[in-house]
Amino acid sequence: MSFRTSTATQLRQNLQDLQATQERMALNNARITSGSRIGSPGEDPNGTALILDFGNSIQANTQYLKQISSASAFLTSTEDAVNGALQAVMRLQELAVGGSSASVPEVDSILQNLLALANTQSQGKYIFSGTQTGTAPFSATSMVPYAYNGNQDPISLGVATDTLVLTNLSGDEVFLGGKNLAPGASPSDLFTAAKNLAAGLKSGIGADVQTAATGLDAALANLNKMLAELGGRQAGLQSLQTTLGNFNASLQSLQSAQESTDYPTAITEYSNDQTIQSATLSVMAKANKVNLFDYLG
Amino acid sequence: MPGLNASLYLGLSGLQAQQAALNVVGHNIANVNTPGYTRQRADLSAGRSQVEGQVYFGTGVTLSSVQGIRDRFLDLQIYRETAKQTGADERYAAVNAIGSALGDTGSTGIAAQIQAFFQGFQDLSTQPESAALRTSLLGKAQAMVTGLQTKYRLLDDQRGNADQSIAAQVAEVNTLTGQIAQLNQRISTEVTPGADNDARDQRKTLTDKLAGLVGINVVESSEGAYQITLDSGSAVLVTGSSAFDLVTKRAGSGGYLQLASNMAGSIVDVTSAIKEGSLGAKLDLRDNILVGFQAQLDQIAAGLAGAVNLAQRAGIAQNGLAGQDFFQNAATPNIDPLTGLQTADGLPNSISTGTALKSGSGWTDRYKGMVNLLSVNAALVKDPSLIAAAGAGGAKGDNTNALLMAGFQNDSSAVDMGGIPTGFTSAVAALITDLGSQAQNYKAQSTAQQNLVSALQSQRDSVSGVNLDEEASSMMTLQRGYQASARFISVINQLTDQLVNQFGR
Repeated sequence: MSFRTSTATQLRQNLQDLQATQERMALNNARITSGSRIGSPGEDPNGTALILDFGNSIQANTQYLKQISSASAFLTSTEDAVNGALQAVMRLQELAVGGSSASVPEVDSILQNLLALANTQSQGKYIFSGTQTGTAPFSATSMVPYAYNGNQDPISLGVATDTLVLTNLSGDEVFLGGKNLAPGASPSDLFTAAKNLAAGLKSGIGADVQTAATGLDAALANLNKMLAELGGRQAGLQSLQTTLGNFNASLQSLQSAQESTDYPTAITEYSNDQTIQSATLSVMAKANKVNLFDYLG
Repeated sequence: MPGLNASLYLGLSGLQAQQAALNVVGHNIANVNTPGYTRQRADLSAGRSQVEGQVYFGTGVTLSSVQGIRDRFLDLQIYRETAKQTGADERYAAVNAIGSALGDTGSTGIAAQIQAFFQGFQDLSTQPESAALRTSLLGKAQAMVTGLQTKYRLLDDQRGNADQSIAAQVAEVNTLTGQIAQLNQRISTEVTPGADNDARDQRKTLTDKLAGLVGINVVESSEGAYQITLDSGSAVLVTGSSAFDLVTKRAGSGGYLQLASNMAGSIVDVTSAIKEGSLGAKLDLRDNILVGFQAQLDQIAAGLAGAVNLAQRAGIAQNGLAGQDFFQNAATPNIDPLTGLQTADGLPNSISTGTALKSGSGWTDRYKGMVNLLSVNAALVKDPSLIAAAGAGGAKGDNTNALLMAGFQNDSSAVDMGGIPTGFTSAVAALITDLGSQAQNYKAQSTAQQNLVSALQSQRDSVSGVNLDEEASSMMTLQRGYQASARFISVINQLTDQLVNQFGR
């Protein structure tokens, strides 16, 4: 038995198919022109969630990379200052061996230089004051042994999820030979050693110069220890930076795989639908032409 | 043997019957494009025979009835499915419309803005001394608040739009049910049962329209009258020749429209009893679907404000004093008016006191309105040094509190999502996935329903639709029948002439 088809059925079915084709074409058209695969979350909820997730991670990593370069900037300033102090101590050691009373002014100026290094500022803050970044760690007016005005608090920066890195060294551990020490208490107190050297050279008492030289040796060892620690932190940051950079690159490619239009597919589908559309239109036009009434005289 | 006169009448009955049947064909052709038209068929039957001795002679043809070719069970099924289709269409359209705005995965999306806000704290941790970074953090906070509120208001607008169209649709429903009741009256009082085809067609078209508006169940009584109830069964719209109107009432000033059925004076609230059709979908969108998204936004906002405010209070600002709330609305501050103390959860008082609603459906109402109350404390905007970046001690370069607050973005229990602790990223992802899946579901539903309805319609058309070729062929047959009957009459006429005028010449 044949299925009775009313005149309206066929046209309605054609129209519905045509609309479905046109809807797909519009969707692919939007994909092609906008370059993004998903126009609205309804098209692919899981894909949207993935894009969001990748986007979040990328944004977070980018921020961490920024934090790393900030931390690295502070560490570099600290490293430069400690390096400068190291050079100064080495010159003082030379003077302790071959110096005379004529070298006293040079020792004094090196002492001033050390004080300036200890009061180094980076981005407007004193880097050796602990968290008291607005206060100079050692005041130039007070007499040697200089008192430390900062605190011992660490300044950390978040450089990865739940990962903090210390970005500072307190002035007392670098210049006074240890944390929470009274000025002059440690043999490696730089300022006291320098002052003692000046006094020894001035008076010409060999034993005093010798004591000062011992102090300088201890201070040098301390500075080297500090440099090693800073170097260790920097190395850690650099490897983290590389890791995050690589991670971001792969996240971006994953995100783009989800987010970007698959052009070959979209264009193929689009041209396929174009063929369907023109075929449908031609069938609709033809079907309307044939009717029994046309043949009735 | 019948006489010549009887034969003339026999020919006449043929002429009349063929012409009447042609009339039916003409009616079919005329209505080929009328929506809901059911093709009609002329039922011809042979006249009662005359007995002469032992021989039965035919007496011609009579038109016994004009019948509409319909399958009424198909009609009832189409009403039900049409309502589901328009319901799914309407829901899909609304959810999809907000999809691209609410589900923005780019830098203007909710997720990116919340992250940018917390990254502002990270930036601040590198330089807690910097006024510029503080100002920039406040800018990011402001952008985030505006972003959340824009999205919230978009949902409000959508709810408002749904609400606005309800009144007009209810009026349409009432007109339709009134007309259907009148047609019921016409049909149940027709002269021959089942004869008033055109009234049935009209009623079917009107009921199709009604099903597009509200989900209905239709039952046809033995007299042919429709009894129409809401799809939930909680109210009758039409029974016999009476229609019961839906009435609307606003819930308070500025409130949403509530619907009730007025069944002969007894008023029954049916606001949540209409499930399908465009009206049912609009009510569902307004009262459930969009509210659900708003509740999620409120939860996210409450998570933000609560965590950051409590951390601010524990930290030290640049003036050496404990920090103030970061998010505070001047109109409803985070102060309990009874004790005069700060609210324990860091949220506005009106939200805090709502914490009693902690179980069951109360979860949706918890934190309700938080997004609207979210605003950056004006005191902080005026003096950014009040941001408490420092921990205890409050040294100028101390960034411990800023670090703590920056860490909230990775806190996996910052947002209270209906009793389930969730991180910000997951909460936003949940919102967007929820939105996307709903859009996808409604789209799938709508496509499935459309296919079903169109299959049913094809089936109905197959039974009831007009096919012009078929009509053309009936027309040819009937035309030939008419010509033959006329020819027959002319032959009988010649016979009579022969008898009367030529006989015996």
